[in-house]
Amino acid sequence: MTPVSRRYLHPEAIARIARLELRARAVVEGVLAGLHKSPYKGQSVEFLQHREYVRGDDLRRVDWKVWGRQDRLYVKEFEEETNLRLALLVDGSASMDYRSGPLSKYDCAATLAASLAWLALSHGDAAGCAVFDDRVRASVPARTKRSQLTNVVEVLETPRGGRGTAFLPVLKSLAETLPRRGLVVIVSDLLGDRDGVFQGLQMLRKRGHDLVLLHVMDEDELEFPFDGPTRFEGLEVPEQIACNPRALRAGYLAALEAFLADARRRAAAARCDYSLVRTGEPLDAALVKFLSRRARMPL
Amino acid sequence: MPTFDFPSLVWWGLPLVAAPVIIHLINLLRHKQVRWAAMEFLLASQRKYRTRVLLKQILLLCLRVAAVLGVVLALAQPRWQHALGQLLGAGRTSHVVILDDSYSMGDMSAGDRVGETSAFDRGRLVVERIGGELATASGGHDFTLGRVSSFARAADEGSPPRFDLDRDAVAPAFVQRLRDELARMPCSQSDADPRGALAAALEALGSGAAAAKVLWLVSDFRAKDWQAADEMADVLRRITAGGVELRLVDCAAEGTAGNLTIERLEVAGGVPATGVVLPIDVAVRNDSARPVSGVAVELREDGAERPGARIDAIPAGGVAVQRFDVRFPTSGSHVIEARIAADAVPADNLRSAVVDVADRIDVLVIDGDPQGGSRTGDAFYLATALAPGAGAPTGLRPRVEPPRALATLDLAAFDCIWLLDVPQFDPPEVAALEAYAKGGGGVVFFGGPRTRVDVLNRTLHRAGAGLYPVPLAGPVDLGGVATADGPDVRVEDHPVVAVLSGQRNPLLDAVRVERYLAVERGYEPPSGDGLRRLLSLRNGVPFVVERPFGAGLVVAVLSTAAPVWNNWARGNPSWVVVMLELESHLAAARRRAGALEVGVPLEVVLESGSDAHDVDFLVPPVGTLVHQTAAVGADGRLTARLPTATAGAYAARWKRLDGTERERAFAVNVGVDEGRLERIGRDRLDRTLAGIPFRYDTAAALDPGSGTLAGVSLLHPLLYALLAILVIEQIVAYAASYHLPARRPAA
Repeated sequence: MTPVSRRYLHPEAIARIARLELRARAVVEGVLAGLHKSPYKGQSVEFLQHREYVRGDDLRRVDWKVWGRQDRLYVKEFEEETNLRLALLVDGSASMDYRSGPLSKYDCAATLAASLAWLALSHGDAAGCAVFDDRVRASVPARTKRSQLTNVVEVLETPRGGRGTAFLPVLKSLAETLPRRGLVVIVSDLLGDRDGVFQGLQMLRKRGHDLVLLHVMDEDELEFPFDGPTRFEGLEVPEQIACNPRALRAGYLAALEAFLADARRRAAAARCDYSLVRTGEPLDAALVKFLSRRARMPL
Repeated sequence: MPTFDFPSLVWWGLPLVAAPVIIHLINLLRHKQVRWAAMEFLLASQRKYRTRVLLKQILLLCLRVAAVLGVVLALAQPRWQHALGQLLGAGRTSHVVILDDSYSMGDMSAGDRVGETSAFDRGRLVVERIGGELATASGGHDFTLGRVSSFARAADEGSPPRFDLDRDAVAPAFVQRLRDELARMPCSQSDADPRGALAAALEALGSGAAAAKVLWLVSDFRAKDWQAADEMADVLRRITAGGVELRLVDCAAEGTAGNLTIERLEVAGGVPATGVVLPIDVAVRNDSARPVSGVAVELREDGAERPGARIDAIPAGGVAVQRFDVRFPTSGSHVIEARIAADAVPADNLRSAVVDVADRIDVLVIDGDPQGGSRTGDAFYLATALAPGAGAPTGLRPRVEPPRALATLDLAAFDCIWLLDVPQFDPPEVAALEAYAKGGGGVVFFGGPRTRVDVLNRTLHRAGAGLYPVPLAGPVDLGGVATADGPDVRVEDHPVVAVLSGQRNPLLDAVRVERYLAVERGYEPPSGDGLRRLLSLRNGVPFVVERPFGAGLVVAVLSTAAPVWNNWARGNPSWVVVMLELESHLAAARRRAGALEVGVPLEVVLESGSDAHDVDFLVPPVGTLVHQTAAVGADGRLTARLPTATAGAYAARWKRLDGTERERAFAVNVGVDEGRLERIGRDRLDRTLAGIPFRYDTAAALDPGSGTLAGVSLLHPLLYALLAILVIEQIVAYAASYHLPARRPAA
């Protein structure tokens, strides 16, 4: 891995996720296979082992060549792989630049996206990525080749313009351009055109895509820990507020809670798998939480 | 209406009230900037809470301003002075303490013996005790302390009165300051009574804004101090009329050991010239209730001990005089001091006097005889009497001059002026004579055939306004026969002729008077004129009369000096005796002018063209050098002044512009009446102060009663209010989210 990719792919996090894969159902079927309910059958079958025929086995799986040589019935078992197409949509608007710790929201979102791409590619699935704000700024179509990870990372590192977010036109265009149904993962803070987000998700869902929404929020945004006279200047909006933050904290948290509840409700309505990611949490933990929840979902 | 113990703190502290506002404004300028993503939630919160937050902030600001104001007011110790405050015990109390430090307070009597503690010591303890009790009492008190002598001295010096402590706030540290102040206060040698101090107290109490006022008079309540009872009562009545509580504290001891006072130390006649015997009288007064005997009197002459004397007995309340004959060998100022043994009051056991001794003392003889100089004229007989010759030195040097010399000579250089049958006087001569007499000089007129009665009445008597003692009618023959009707001359009660008084005096009996100047018939001197007879004639008319004029004395002998109208001067020794006694008597007024009392400033009048302006004073008892610079006073004279606080001999030295030095001695003594230890007594005090509410305590039984004077302080209510404000401020601050929420412990 290049130093850049190492920046987003924390080895420790990947190691812990790998251990969880062993325990999860998805480990058997492939991490991403266990993480989503694919509507497709795999087209490539790789021989795994022979076992003795037992009553009830499908006679079509009996290896007649072994029976001819050894006069014993053995059944061939195959390791079936999914043929997943993972589309990663990362919000690159100005609001994603806020940071209270070492990682901005965008850093966090890009790390998550790269990690997911790595996981998909490592299991032979195709992974693609797009970074957008008010339109798609950079993208790479889904591929399965090993070098695809480098392409994804390059897309994530594309310089951004600090613009606002316009979810609906972006998601609409992606819905029209994604060639096949697949898993669409959107990593965003959802600040901006919120109605557009969920309209876009509905649109993608109607086209048969499986949807995952990773909602990235900074710890400051969730806790609002400020004190002392402070002047807040909008990253995406021109407003400014000079205030005692503690005096507005209660109202802020109430509005935030309403926002999160609305996001969860509307994501559920769009049958979108919603997960809140805090920038203060270890990323591996966030991924584990997300994968574990995916693993518990009914097939 | 609220008042404050420390009102200046209010003015210093009030600007601090603006501190919360200023801090708020500064915070507005010190906003930290945050570039924020989730503005929509913040904007929603602001829309929702804007009004509430603003109101809370304003309320918080008001509470913080109120808290600062409360702290400032608490430090300034507020009190309520209104009707409610009065009902609950009044507010601030102003105490004015007048401490009598006249020298009678130095009385160390302890019963009928001399103890170790003076009345002034007890007075200081009383004042300290009052201050100490006020310091521990509740309520606010301010304390003003003044000494009786301070106000008397200020009056003598013409300076404004000053209290030793002026409205000092009574606080714990005040007690030590009061103690230090009292320790520095000696009992003075002043004889002042408390009237001046009480007048100053009246003014001080009238100008104060305290809710309650108390005047403490700490004194020994001697009868002498209350001689002007009406004036004392009047000023105390005016003080108490203003609502002032009057407390009298008596520091005198029960009973008295008695006191002896040197009442006088003076030259008892004679002429202060070198080599001439000068009688010095020391009069000792016994102010005790029983006679004393064997009183030793010491006399020092220019610091040198002289043989002392012992007074055999002095009756109770009486005076005994011990005479010392002193002969000064050199001219100049000589200091004599008389001292008696220590008794209850030490200050009046010492007295000093200055005797200015000259080689010869000039007297001016104005001879009205235009042919003067004959051995039969008035001037001859008078000059012979005043200066008989080397065999009998009198110290006098008569200088015979014609009348016109009055206008040209410096009359102040003469000890006495004798005018012998002068026919008339020009106005300049009259003016010079009157100025001389008013300044303390002695003038003697002799009549005679040249005397023009009408001119004399018009120019010199001037219906009593002039120099001459009586209006004259004209020369009259005495007539009659002396032996049948008694001697021609009768001695009246007067010190000049005291030596001739007695049953019969053959020398005076030998005097024959044939003619004299009669006083206008029916003349009655005005009341208070001071006219006295020295000698009268057989027919009852005056022969020699005396009347004060200004500070001096004028004597009129209504006959001739030469044996023309009488034979007195012809070989009669009594002529010489009376003339010398008369000269001493007349000159005594000028010699007494140098006697000063403690508190009266010394004055050295300089000649601006001849003297330097710097004068060095030597101050008793150890001769401390005090430098003073002369200044031109209101009278236009160049004068160097020195306040006097101790009795004794002072000296003033200054240089003349020609390089020579001059020195003048002063004797400063205590007032003799202060040594009378008679008490006013409670009964007389009650009568004197009838109608004036006062409380009388002895020093031993004093209860300052400061607890009853304590007022209600607003400090505690204010502190409770301040506490409530701070609690509310915290609640509002919490409600306004100025407090961070408690952190949950990590799971």
